[in-house]
Amino acid sequence: MENFKSSTGMYAIALLIIAFIVAQSMFFIIKSWKHGKELGIKKETLVNTVTSSILFTIAPAISILVTVFVLAKALGIVLPWIRLTVIGNLAYETVAAETALNNLGGSLSSEITDPVQFSTVAWAMTIGAIFPLTFLPLVCKKLQKAIGGAVNKDEKSAKVGDIISASAFIGIISAFIARAINGCSTQTSTDGIKLVTESSGFISISTLICAIILMLLFTLICKKASWGAKAEPFAMPLAMFCAMGFAVLLTKVVPADISGFTWYTIGEELKTLL
Amino acid sequence: MKNTEKNYFDKVHVWGTVWNYIALVVMFIVPIGISVLLKSWPTLSVLGKVLVTLIPLYWVTAIVEVATYVPMLGAGGTYLSFVTGNISNLKLPCGLNAMENAKVRPNTEEGEVISTIAIAVSSLTTTVVIAVGVLAFSKVFSSASSNPTFAAAFNNVLPALFGALGASYFIKHWKLAFVPVITGIVMLLISPTMGVGILMFITIVASIIGALVIYKADFGPFLKGLSKKNK
Repeated sequence: MENFKSSTGMYAIALLIIAFIVAQSMFFIIKSWKHGKELGIKKETLVNTVTSSILFTIAPAISILVTVFVLAKALGIVLPWIRLTVIGNLAYETVAAETALNNLGGSLSSEITDPVQFSTVAWAMTIGAIFPLTFLPLVCKKLQKAIGGAVNKDEKSAKVGDIISASAFIGIISAFIARAINGCSTQTSTDGIKLVTESSGFISISTLICAIILMLLFTLICKKASWGAKAEPFAMPLAMFCAMGFAVLLTKVVPADISGFTWYTIGEELKTLL
Repeated sequence: MKNTEKNYFDKVHVWGTVWNYIALVVMFIVPIGISVLLKSWPTLSVLGKVLVTLIPLYWVTAIVEVATYVPMLGAGGTYLSFVTGNISNLKLPCGLNAMENAKVRPNTEEGEVISTIAIAVSSLTTTVVIAVGVLAFSKVFSSASSNPTFAAAFNNVLPALFGALGASYFIKHWKLAFVPVITGIVMLLISPTMGVGILMFITIVASIIGALVIYKADFGPFLKGLSKKNK
């Protein structure tokens, strides 16, 4: 029973989930591709979308893979693999598993050996995450019609639609930029104290600035160079990878007391800056 | 809205709804399968206690996320994203980047096509990366991710991703960037652990209000038109 977390049955469930995700994704790619052609979208644009999306996804996917391995210490490799393939999310899965285990008197830092604890974690992760699937079909069409109808009515509305889209995009990006500047994550200890697990600081701010500068530089190069248009889809993933490399370089060359600076001390109780 | 557009969007909603409900069934196969395989079912009282903590936390965020993502990702992209997950840290920026590269905007048929392809490709890529990583490199990656050198790279994926993505937007709409970034920083000073779903909702609202002030001349006639329509 000790290997129940990675039994053949568990792998069979994982394969079923993967088959489902592949089928759904392929279905939407085929339908969208066909309709894209009907709309007169150039094949080159569609191919570029595929290429740049693959490149764009690699680094965040590796980071998701790291979360799988972090959770694997307690949950085995298969359940985190399944959970981060459907609905899963870096932050959500960790919190859901930890909450379930805390209620059972355990924690993610130790391996689960009790099958009841394991199935409780699986149920908690699933029920916690399914809510959007139950109500999305009820509101998605109405929401899209209301917004689409308002911003695609005439030329002036389309211009307003462009401004709203751009400002909403920037709003989304700003939340993450703010988190890179002064965000933190905590975990509540068994005695109810909020302990800092992650915090922004010197490295996160430097990585952010590096990514911005590199992207501006690559955009400029793509505009000036004769081969620029072809290279444009690669500018973002390249800037992202180089900025991640810069983070590694900084930890190597900058003195540890500077490179290790964070606004909130990791492992200590959270004290707000204000 | 053109007639073909109407038909296409309607079709996407039908496909999305069907896949969505199949996904719901597939999702439940996981805990049911585990409980059957292990002959171990959770105690309802313990599960109830866990869910009382989790549901307010995630279900409220889910409502905000649906309202935020549908206008940005379109129907196909949203249906796919909510099944495959990792939206804010992967699917959303990937969809936005693809629409930006293809020079199409959301809530148009072209935007719908590009966003859906980008998100579907991203889902497939993530599935492949995780599957290959788990099956072939679990030992190598476990030691690499805990190595302090590589940890610096993995811990800073989001600043690198959103820095690069932000630059491409800020260069075109620099005037719009100040209000939401400052709002986000101030909100985190007040509540440093604020969840990204809620923070994102606040910065989007701040950004749109900022845009309303900056582009007053463009918004005036549009808002008048909307209020007339409502009357």
